[in-house]
Amino acid sequence: MGASLATDGSDKKKVKKAALLFMGLGHIIHLKQWVKGAFFAVIEVIFLCFLPYIFTKLGDLINIGKDQSSIPVQERQLSHFMMIDGIVVIAFIIIFAIIYYLSVKSAMDDYREYCIAGKFADNRDATKGILGKAFPIIGLAPALILVVFFVIVPLIFSITAGFTNWSNPDHIPPGNSINWVGLENYIDMLGGESDWASAFLRVAGWTIIWGLCATFTCYFGGLIVAVIFNETKLKIAPVFRAIFILPYAVPNILSMMVWKNLLNGSSGTVNRTLQALGIIDSAIPWLSDVTMARITCILINLWAGFPYFMMLIAGQMTAISADIFEAASIDGANKFQVFKNITLPMVLYQTVPLIIMSFTHNVNNFGAVFFLTGGAPNVASTTTTGAGGTDIVVSWIYKLTMDQMNYKNASVLAMFVFVVLAPFAIINFMNTKSFKEGEL
Amino acid sequence: MNASTKNKVLSVIVIIFLLLVTFVVLYPIVFVISAAFAPGNTATGLSIVPFGAGFTFEHFTYLFSETNFMLWFENTLIIAICTCILSVVICSLAAYVFSRFRFALKKSMLMSLLILQIFPSFVGMIAIYVIINRMGAYNQLWGLVLVYVAGNVPYNTWLVKSYLDTIPKSLDEAARIDGANHLTIFWRVVMPIAKPIIIFLGITTFTGPWMDWIFPKLVLGDDEKQTLAIGLFSFVTDRKDQFTTFAAGALLVAIPFVFFFVITQKAQTEGLGAAAVKE
Repeated sequence: MGASLATDGSDKKKVKKAALLFMGLGHIIHLKQWVKGAFFAVIEVIFLCFLPYIFTKLGDLINIGKDQSSIPVQERQLSHFMMIDGIVVIAFIIIFAIIYYLSVKSAMDDYREYCIAGKFADNRDATKGILGKAFPIIGLAPALILVVFFVIVPLIFSITAGFTNWSNPDHIPPGNSINWVGLENYIDMLGGESDWASAFLRVAGWTIIWGLCATFTCYFGGLIVAVIFNETKLKIAPVFRAIFILPYAVPNILSMMVWKNLLNGSSGTVNRTLQALGIIDSAIPWLSDVTMARITCILINLWAGFPYFMMLIAGQMTAISADIFEAASIDGANKFQVFKNITLPMVLYQTVPLIIMSFTHNVNNFGAVFFLTGGAPNVASTTTTGAGGTDIVVSWIYKLTMDQMNYKNASVLAMFVFVVLAPFAIINFMNTKSFKEGEL
Repeated sequence: MNASTKNKVLSVIVIIFLLLVTFVVLYPIVFVISAAFAPGNTATGLSIVPFGAGFTFEHFTYLFSETNFMLWFENTLIIAICTCILSVVICSLAAYVFSRFRFALKKSMLMSLLILQIFPSFVGMIAIYVIINRMGAYNQLWGLVLVYVAGNVPYNTWLVKSYLDTIPKSLDEAARIDGANHLTIFWRVVMPIAKPIIIFLGITTFTGPWMDWIFPKLVLGDDEKQTLAIGLFSFVTDRKDQFTTFAAGALLVAIPFVFFFVITQKAQTEGLGAAAVKE
């Protein structure tokens, strides 16, 4: 049958039909590519063997909250395990579908090659293919497998958890099961339950203010220092630069914990020093008053973050061509005009993508808040919602998951982070060179 | 006021400003160093003048004799080295494929990697916890390595891919004509040229695990399996105030860190520039 395969492309349908009927069949019966065909066929056989298992798992995913009260607690199926298994199984189904699609595509490609060459491809080519045609697949496989199981599946899982009632104290397996509740959590968070809704508004608002302030203070802090170094040509500038880089070199978590102790209200060294010097009478509530604690967060973040921009902007400034400055001085521009009209705009233009990246980084900057304040001080609804006065969304998510075991609301917040930050990622993506040049 | 006095006044103001910044930058650093050698336990008992209350090595001896500090250090080092090597290999291979091959679904894969990298990876931490448990990787260092490497893939693959895009494809083609296969081209032609970004990748993935706190907390259970960040944090919890011991440990971590940073600073700033401009 295979020998009669036409070389003019007229048997395309025949090959496609076989390839669609069973994975690898096209390769085996028409194209005489036993190795490749057998490889695909084995994948499909394995998949078919697992089919009953897959259906059970999918059924479990739909009925995560099935009544198990008659079964002893130790033998009950855990709802969240049922969820994760279901999602992993769906991931496998999608991977299988993609391999199926690729197998059909590969059969069509091979048939086209056969039409051009007029003879069947050598089977030895297929085995040699690990370094040849199969290289892209082998090269990508580890990255893709890791991303699917440790990034995508967890993300999907936390998104789906937002549509269940999985939370302390009434819906924690194994004692109780979890159930699908649709959009209930979203409705609660957006106004259904006043405590949660107000906490959500407060935290979301502060997160955005925090992201903006943290980014701009660090950016302009770094800019000012870089400009001073660049413009004044001080002889001892390298010494200052070496010192100023230190906060960036020291691990963030360590410096935050040190600051936390330094700024402690009654016993912190800063307050004790200021009192001893007679500058203040009573302790400044650095971390115990909401507004003050927020300002402290931004200031300490400035301490930790300005060196990064200082280094970057200094690099950009030296990269500006000297010709431009020369031209400007011939035109009679003074130092300030050169700075205002040339250096600053060029640096700003170059660093816009970095400002965007830094904003998304700061919105997610768990460490800068959590290790400094731990979200404290408490506010009115902290006991029910867990959100303190300086908590940003990600640190709130962390607390909800680890301390409160309120997984459902943590998931709703994760969705919120996604909706706010995804556009920034897309903007940066559209600014990439390969996107602009149409290579993608 | 003539121009030269004006300049002098200006430079005095600038120097005063820089000295003020220096003071603020150095204040906590000097404070930690003095705390590490100060007698006593708590932050409250510390003298407000650095080194004002005596000098002792007892916190360092305590760290090495009474706590698992050396074990934590060893664990963290193992995790960091494994994460670094695996991330470099996996990300650069994937980046090479993305940069040099045309294949189905490429565009959607790249787009999803870009969107995935904006998430802090702990958003999915409960699922990661469950998966790690199901794999039997709970309390195992390799489980943590897997989590880190996976978290590194999206952003770093993009970073390396963008860099590789700037390397002319004619180089690969010349090698291919000479009969080299893809792996040889990748290893002998592309990697040497991509060295700056690979070094940057190596540095960032190596330093990352040292100070992460969330995942070790999630994946590792026993005290002997802990990493430095968790270990040090345990000295200054709500229930325990051993700030001086913490300071001693922090110093032992920070000094090699700063040293490492100074050595690699050139590569780091270059990498930062590459990450910014070439994307």
